Amino acid sequence: MASITRRRFLTTTTGAGLAGIFAAGIAPARGQQREISYLCWNNFAPLMDKKLDEIAVRFTKDTGIKIKIDHIAAPQQAAKYASEVQSQSGHDLVEMRMHFPWLYEGQLVDVSDIVGELEKKYGKALSSAGETARVRGTWRAVPQYHGMFVAAYREDLFKKASLKIPDTWEDLYVAGKELKKMGHPVGIPISQNYDTISTAGPVLWSFGGLEVDKDGKTVKINSEQTAQMVEWYKKMFRDCMEPEVLSWDDASNNQSLQQGKAGWIHNPVSAYIVAKQMKLPTADTINHHKTPGGPKGRHETDVPRHIGIWRFSKNIAPAKEFIRYLLGTRERYDEYIMSADAFNLPVYENLQNHPVLKTDPKYAALLDTKGVQYHCYGWPAPPSDKVQLITNSFIMPNMIAKAVTGTSTKDSLAWAENEMKKVMAG
Amino acid sequence: MAISTVDIAVARRPSLRARISELLDREEWLGPIFVSPALVLLLLLVAYPFCMALYFSVSNAFIGRPSHLIGLRNFINLWQSDAFRQTFQNAFVFCGAAVAAKLVLGISLALLLDQQLWFKRLIRGAVLLPWVIPTALSTLGWWWMFNSLYSVVNWTGLALGIMDPPGPNWLGQKYYAMAAVIIVNIWRGLPFFAITILAGLVAIPKELYEAAEADGAGPVARFWYVTLPLLKGVLAIVVLFSTIFTFSEFNIVFVLTHGGPINSTHLFATLARQVGLETGRIGEGAAISLYLFPVLMIVVWAQLRFVRKQAY
Repeated sequence: MASITRRRFLTTTTGAGLAGIFAAGIAPARGQQREISYLCWNNFAPLMDKKLDEIAVRFTKDTGIKIKIDHIAAPQQAAKYASEVQSQSGHDLVEMRMHFPWLYEGQLVDVSDIVGELEKKYGKALSSAGETARVRGTWRAVPQYHGMFVAAYREDLFKKASLKIPDTWEDLYVAGKELKKMGHPVGIPISQNYDTISTAGPVLWSFGGLEVDKDGKTVKINSEQTAQMVEWYKKMFRDCMEPEVLSWDDASNNQSLQQGKAGWIHNPVSAYIVAKQMKLPTADTINHHKTPGGPKGRHETDVPRHIGIWRFSKNIAPAKEFIRYLLGTRERYDEYIMSADAFNLPVYENLQNHPVLKTDPKYAALLDTKGVQYHCYGWPAPPSDKVQLITNSFIMPNMIAKAVTGTSTKDSLAWAENEMKKVMAG
Repeated sequence: MAISTVDIAVARRPSLRARISELLDREEWLGPIFVSPALVLLLLLVAYPFCMALYFSVSNAFIGRPSHLIGLRNFINLWQSDAFRQTFQNAFVFCGAAVAAKLVLGISLALLLDQQLWFKRLIRGAVLLPWVIPTALSTLGWWWMFNSLYSVVNWTGLALGIMDPPGPNWLGQKYYAMAAVIIVNIWRGLPFFAITILAGLVAIPKELYEAAEADGAGPVARFWYVTLPLLKGVLAIVVLFSTIFTFSEFNIVFVLTHGGPINSTHLFATLARQVGLETGRIGEGAAISLYLFPVLMIVVWAQLRFVRKQAY
């Protein structure tokens, strides 16, 4: 029998292997093992990230599909997504908030089939989710949960000073003046972050103002109603808050309440949840109440979050399988939602009275939604990439910041109008 | 018949190794071989992105959508943006103040390090620390120090009685915020100045100082007439590099202020990121980042010319 040398063996097998790979056009490891990746945010409810990792491990065990989950801070999402789209490479699945599906419409896979299945099980997706993830009739991302803003306040301080729970933004001004005197100012950020927009929106809407009209084209920020809103911010900044709010990021109002400084903030229940989990002394003193209203009703920010699949992904089928695995079974979806401790809530109609809301009496404000109108950023303009651009450019926060730091209300409004018109024209 | 054999000398081809060896002995081959890896890297990592940026800047490129050329419209339209005009002003204030402070402090520190100090090597090594630590991490430390809720700077100032409560709002008021980013940039860039200038100082022959001293020159005169003229070349190079680095600063502003409050600390790099990546308008973003390119080219050319004059 002819002997074969080690060198000849290696040459032959390597050559044959490479020829196979070139012929198949796919690396052998990938051919055998399906693997997907998911890029999502650093959840403000960290236990939900932990639960997601747990579910991912079970997903791999049950389906044989490996999944790698990467987390990034929320403010970096837009830039990261842009670079992935531009380079047409990166993750398969991406977590999307607000109007991102509109911004990346052409880059996202149609997931109407999955949403259809979920809606059959759980009822219609909430209107805010539909407005933001269904682009021109096609679902570009699957709604997974939403975070509602409420008012979080120091119950002990309100009781001590016999303050009335604010029912309107004007009531908040009255209470805020007392809170500041007590050394516990109101903490509403006025800086280049998304929490600023989440509060400014409801205040603006409750005064009857809007950024862009229903037609999605006409800029309406320069109005008498916006002027009233700006004047309200000016007196709040002067009498109820401290200048530190001009430098805050999305976490600062939470931290201020948790550390015992702020007496009132406008935020989802995450500030309380973290205080509770970290066993901070303030946890027992924090409670929530319904968001204040104004002359034109009671409005609130709703931030739906979705999962999308990039069109450039080579793993669309396994990516869809993961979404179905995570959201498609009631028990698993419940488990996922419960891990967020009421910070992230189900986004389908039949699950609105979810058991997570009954796990703590301090979540009662989240059930008290009567008369509250929930909107995503930019309302009443229909969601679009332009509305998302206005949001991402922080025009409204800067308009308010200008006004509270000395620029006249008229000039601040004119500045914002000019900036928004440029975005709409671009 | 006598048969004679003839030795035929067969001209054997030299072995492959010998041929490679011969080739490598020839300068016209060896030079390009050594240079080519660096050239490939430069083409891939510098020339290609630069050309792409140039293309984007004259196009209406938007993330994930088809684009077409629009000439200089991006550059012209930017002047209508309040945020851009503010950024333009910020860049010159930031760069001017930071480079000037780093130059003065760098010379002072280098002179100090040139003295006979105890633990000289340890101190020289320690001075480099701000330069060595990743900027994003060290800036996080500064962010914590300037944070409105936890500011150790204000806490110290209040404890020493040199600040009125609650102390400056470092990152929330435009002048303080600009001061904060400049301070951190100086802290970060000072070692580069100090160590480079120190290298220049060490190279100055001691005889020149002895001669000046013999002629009655005091410390100030020795610095002015001996040290400074002989440091001109080094200073020009350091200022050139620092100007480029400072104009293109990103990390410090991004971590500390995100360009706020009201765009008052935005620099070209941070605004380009916000416009180009966060809002998807890559064309406009590229135009922002390339806006100062012609000016910087002239600065580089002038300074390199000055350095060459010094050298010859």
